[in-house]
Amino acid sequence: MNKSLLISGAGGQGIVSISTIIANIFMLSGKFVSLCPCYGAEMRGGAVNCEINMSDSEILCPQNDEVDFVVALNQTSFDKFINKVKENGTIIVNSSLAKINKTRDDIKYIFAPLTQEALKLGNIKTTNSIALGILSKLLGNLSIDNVKKAYEKILKDKKELIQKNIEAYLLGYNYIQEGN
Amino acid sequence: MSEKTLLKGNIAIAQAALKCGCSCYFGYPITPQTEIGEYLSLKMQESGLGYVCAESEIGAINMALGASSTGAKVMASSSSCAVSLMQEALSYACSDELPIVLVNVMRAGPGQGYIYPSQGDYNQSVTGGGNGDYRIIVLSPSNVQECIDLTYRAFYLARKYRNPVIILLDGLLGQMSEAVEFDDNKYDEINCSNWTLEGAKNRPSRKIHSLEPSSNKLNNHIKKMFEKYSIIKEKEADWEEYLTDDANIIVTAFSTMSRQAKALCNYYRRKGLKMGLFRPKTLWPFPQKRLAELSKKADLIIDIEMNMGQMLKDVELSVLGNSKIEFIGKPVGDFMKIDELVSRTDEILRRTDVSLSHS
Repeated sequence: MNKSLLISGAGGQGIVSISTIIANIFMLSGKFVSLCPCYGAEMRGGAVNCEINMSDSEILCPQNDEVDFVVALNQTSFDKFINKVKENGTIIVNSSLAKINKTRDDIKYIFAPLTQEALKLGNIKTTNSIALGILSKLLGNLSIDNVKKAYEKILKDKKELIQKNIEAYLLGYNYIQEGN
Repeated sequence: MSEKTLLKGNIAIAQAALKCGCSCYFGYPITPQTEIGEYLSLKMQESGLGYVCAESEIGAINMALGASSTGAKVMASSSSCAVSLMQEALSYACSDELPIVLVNVMRAGPGQGYIYPSQGDYNQSVTGGGNGDYRIIVLSPSNVQECIDLTYRAFYLARKYRNPVIILLDGLLGQMSEAVEFDDNKYDEINCSNWTLEGAKNRPSRKIHSLEPSSNKLNNHIKKMFEKYSIIKEKEADWEEYLTDDANIIVTAFSTMSRQAKALCNYYRRKGLKMGLFRPKTLWPFPQKRLAELSKKADLIIDIEMNMGQMLKDVELSVLGNSKIEFIGKPVGDFMKIDELVSRTDEILRRTDVSLSHS
């Protein structure tokens, strides 16, 4: 199995963190994985994106013109990466910060008000984990044990955030219902 | 083997250096290699090792020379335009026969260029930018695991041959994370106590210098250096081959570009073409003999680089007319993807008449 993902948003939205967690989950599942970050010279607020590739064999193309899944956490990244989704691929859009607008009919759109859901959970910084939950549901086959292990590893210095993020992850995971 | 961890190329090199016993690091921040210094600044201070964020790259590399002369295991790191500033010191280090590991995580040039990746420093590393006759061993990893393995090797070779070693990788690999394992360092510890300067109590004094007013002495010194270089050429050339056994089309590429080149081989194998990859892991010494052998059986060599054709010269010098050579390149920016490589290869195959008939 090969899967390519692009996670995008603004600096400060936890794009690199969540990408690292996804890459760790794949690694813990015994897959080959590559993670290429791309960010400008800005700190908070600039555009950030990470491409993650997962495979059963050595990853030969860590950067691709098109990917299976795009996650866009704001309007800028939605506009920028909508054309990076493969035919029959999926884009997950944070509709709290991007307008619902379907310009392509060859891909699947999932609009979810991620920022609002994160605020309801009491921590806006869990926006990225809700997105990961949705993504996990679509990818299938990710063991919750590995998800927990990845969070524990990446947030080992911020232990108080682990539980909240896993809660956010599960919220995202259950966001799309079966057959939807 | 330790458990797998996800690391970016830069951090992998820094951790591997510490595992080698690197006791002094000198650098100055520059994208895309800053994480090396950032990581070591913390770890080396914690362990009481020597870490200096120098006032400039010229300062950093000259401090590396000084520390190396005392027998310390020394590493410096930088990127492209800043490695240019270090060329004078590298020439000195070769003449002084000082073991130094220098990491160059390449960004775009010429001049200031920008922070996006490139492979434009092949010539600078392999042929050198300093004065006089000298050679630098150049190792080039293609994935994060190799960043570790070749860092181990770099420290070993530097001390074994008393010569600077450059680890040359592109910015993409420096920034990219992959799952890696830290093997034990399998290389022997080299005893340097017969030449280091750490105080002459109870022994005759020694000196390390490149200045030599006697032309006889300087000639002999350089001849001795070149005897050493011929041993390195003979013994240390290293490379990877992929599907070359029956290949009549050989693709050559180094560092990260070689991975897309492998994907290209897979693509044409599925179409029935016998394509294989030859990737030098040592850029100097370039594995000339083996490529020459392979080229005798080949109809076509396609060299692929993220520059305007720098390794191409070494490919040509190895192939020496045994087969046709074509070049696919792009100087800077996003690495060429498989679609672009296929369309440019298709064009070459049409033009050179090395076609599907070989299948």
